[in-house]
Amino acid sequence: MRYQLLYQPVSTMAQFDLEQGEQLLVEPGAMVGMTPGLDMITGLAKQSGGGGIFGAITAAAGRLLAGESFFQNTFTATRGPEQLLLAHTLPGDMAMIDVQGAGLKLQSTAFVASTPGVQTTGEFGGARTFFGGEGLFLLSATANAPNQQILIGAFGGIQELQCNGSLVIDTGHLVAWDASLTFNVTKASSGWISSYLTGEGLVCSFQGQGRIWMQTRNPPEFGSKVGRLLPPRTN
Amino acid sequence: MHHQISHEPAFSMLRVDLDPGDIFVSEAGAMAAKSTHVQMDAKLTVRPNAGFVTTLGAMFAAFIRKALGGESFFVTHYTTNAPGTVWITPTMSGSIVHRRLEPGQRLTLSAGAYVASSGDIDVIVKYAGLRGILAKEGAFFLEILGNGGDIWFNSYGGVDAIDVNGTYIVDNGHIVGWEGALTFDIKSAGGGLIGMVASGEGMVCEFKGQGRVYIQSRNFGSLIDWLSPLLPG
Repeated sequence: MRYQLLYQPVSTMAQFDLEQGEQLLVEPGAMVGMTPGLDMITGLAKQSGGGGIFGAITAAAGRLLAGESFFQNTFTATRGPEQLLLAHTLPGDMAMIDVQGAGLKLQSTAFVASTPGVQTTGEFGGARTFFGGEGLFLLSATANAPNQQILIGAFGGIQELQCNGSLVIDTGHLVAWDASLTFNVTKASSGWISSYLTGEGLVCSFQGQGRIWMQTRNPPEFGSKVGRLLPPRTN
Repeated sequence: MHHQISHEPAFSMLRVDLDPGDIFVSEAGAMAAKSTHVQMDAKLTVRPNAGFVTTLGAMFAAFIRKALGGESFFVTHYTTNAPGTVWITPTMSGSIVHRRLEPGQRLTLSAGAYVASSGDIDVIVKYAGLRGILAKEGAFFLEILGNGGDIWFNSYGGVDAIDVNGTYIVDNGHIVGWEGALTFDIKSAGGGLIGMVASGEGMVCEFKGQGRVYIQSRNFGSLIDWLSPLLPG
């Protein structure tokens, strides 16, 4: 499968050229255009190791809680070579990233599409993600075949960072990271008052070796800057 | 201290590599990422160990700004005991501009344009009076006085430096800052009261003298004006 990222970085759109038999798993709403020979099936996100219908529903419910759709669309080039165009909601870049070893964790809205050997489930992140401002659930992605990739979408540019030991990321700038990294939510500065006054509050502190993708704009920060100047909601 | 601006022009990000002894300052809330051992502290002034009078002045200006709906009045100081890195991002889509200020050089910025600074720099909040309120840039400007230091400022949209020799007119929502021997006045865009309303330009700033004006290719006030009527009532 070949792909190209067009209109980077502000209005990025991904163009996939699928050979006969190739598949892509796509977040509902991400499709921009397609050739007519692509078959689209809407279903529950695929589950590894069987798990039956119960496992599939549990995974789907997890995805729902993670802010993703309950369903996932599978596009298959059944009859011959086909083309599929995908885009993200916010102005920003996209990137294809490899799913390695322990898999990836994603901030809930970052997932756009993946190769068919990737399973995504909502994961209870515990209070630490709750306080991290990213919601109670993360998206956890694992691969059941080699060379699996995920297409991520960001608000702003995407910067890949290598965590060698430890690194601190503002929660609003997190897109995805290797599941080999551990993280906890801490205060940005040594004292609570200072952390509040620096305007950072709580941040994600990563430990270990792995890749982190961050976005160069912060959606909640943008939302609050624009939002506080808009007329109040009446309902 | 080494610095690099990336992801220009829409999604600019500033990366600063710090060594022990360096002090780097940013606006509050601008940190996107940092090395774990880089220490952050909230301060009222960009100058470390500012005197009592300076701090008091800063506090006074800060509270007035906050009361008038301005942004956070604290700045963040970054220091480190081992080489480390800080990544800084502004809120809006747009550029970051770096300017080195040699002794005696000064730069005036609209209140929201300050991103970061380092070295021998003073940032003084200046009351702009009625002009500032009419210019929609807020009642305050930032006067940046250099004595050998660096300043980084941001724009909404792309930023353009216009060298002025004589007179130049800028729509008030597009001003980022200016430097040199320039005075400015608020005027109607032309054609008196009707022209001011009908042209859609409202008030403009007229710069006179010799110097440089930094303008931005997008207008934050216009974004808000465009969005507001689209929201459900």
